[in-house]
Amino acid sequence: MNNLEKYNNIFVEVFGVDAAQLGDNFSKETVSQWDSVHQLNIISMIEESFDLMLDPEDIMACTSYHAGKEILSKNGIEI
Amino acid sequence: MACWNIQNVRFAGVSACVPKHIVRTEEFPFFDHEGAETFNNTVGIRERRLGPDSLCASDMCQAAAEKLLAELGWERESIDMLVFESVTADYHPTPPTSCLLQDRLGLSENCFCLDLPMGCCGCMYAINVAGNMLSSGNIKRALLLVGDTALRMGSMQDKSRVPLFGDCGTAVALEYDPAAEPILIDFHTQGSEHAALMTPHGGFRHPITPESFIQEDFGNGIIRAPKDTLIDGMAVFTFAISKPAKAVARLMEEMGIDKDQDIDYYLIHQANKMIVDRLVKKLKLPVEKVPYNLEQFGNTGGASIPGLMVTRLRDQLQQDRPNRLLCSSFGLGLSWGTMVLNIKNVVVPELIEI
Repeated sequence: MNNLEKYNNIFVEVFGVDAAQLGDNFSKETVSQWDSVHQLNIISMIEESFDLMLDPEDIMACTSYHAGKEILSKNGIEI
Repeated sequence: MACWNIQNVRFAGVSACVPKHIVRTEEFPFFDHEGAETFNNTVGIRERRLGPDSLCASDMCQAAAEKLLAELGWERESIDMLVFESVTADYHPTPPTSCLLQDRLGLSENCFCLDLPMGCCGCMYAINVAGNMLSSGNIKRALLLVGDTALRMGSMQDKSRVPLFGDCGTAVALEYDPAAEPILIDFHTQGSEHAALMTPHGGFRHPITPESFIQEDFGNGIIRAPKDTLIDGMAVFTFAISKPAKAVARLMEEMGIDKDQDIDYYLIHQANKMIVDRLVKKLKLPVEKVPYNLEQFGNTGGASIPGLMVTRLRDQLQQDRPNRLLCSSFGLGLSWGTMVLNIKNVVVPELIEI
């Protein structure tokens, strides 16, 4: 599984959506289910999947599919 | 970097005292049955001990100290230093509660007394300060009284805070001993995030005025006034699942500690189950080495670490075999610390209930 697939699977599992629905518009502003619990679950799975320990600033900033990619890039993981 | 290798200090004893009165989650008026079950299953705090307003943290600490001194066989006059670590002192801002306890415990007038209001990292702060003062041998015995009645700091209508806390007072005895294993302590502070856990009014920055009592409804069951201690749940949770884990990982790497072989128990501040579980998972700690007591006592602030020792590791610590403990605390300030202790033959009285 490549990094993009790993990353997409996280959102598929947390939100119960198809990977085809994921894109730059998938965010806290557009997804009604997106709350703090879901956000923390995304973070937990990102950390586990990519073996990272994220800083609080990154955890709080992870409010969209796009932001998550930027956070991974910042931590040396390219999608 | 704030990191210490404290030599010549023996962890001689630890005791704890809690109120007899138990409050279960279902008893709080803002939870229906389903809400209480969800809270129990996620936060994990099913019960907590809550004392009457007349019972202060110092009272529980005093009871713990009396029992500990009796079982240690320590003369009162031999105590050179007394630390009272609490954010719920008898009086605010003066006099220091440590001075009151010097009198109440009948300690010598030559005893050095100190208050430390450092919250959930409090026990570690107290051990760090007292340990460093003992290390030179200038003083020989220190009594650390660590306790809180944190629930009463906030609004009883703040659903984000009320169910989290339990009352507890503990006592730790440290002694100068050149043969003792070193105590390792590592500390960090991020004052820029202080607003996540604070009491806005009541100090000298914003003294108490009639405005301090005006309640505001923040939604989600949070109603509080500026005089009430607040908790920014998301900010605190985010901090708690990130900074402490990194600090523990870094310390273990720098000290060459093998997490599976070199540590007998991991004592993690009992803030809530989700946080502790995350830290365990993130650090890949052996779960059988991580005791919990939050389900029974809630978040007891600075007393959390010594409380775990008394309620979950009493038998182990009393044995004549080394127990290497790695402790992780985190809380207001924001501050977080990691401590490694290698201790044995510790005097641990049974839990006191008053």
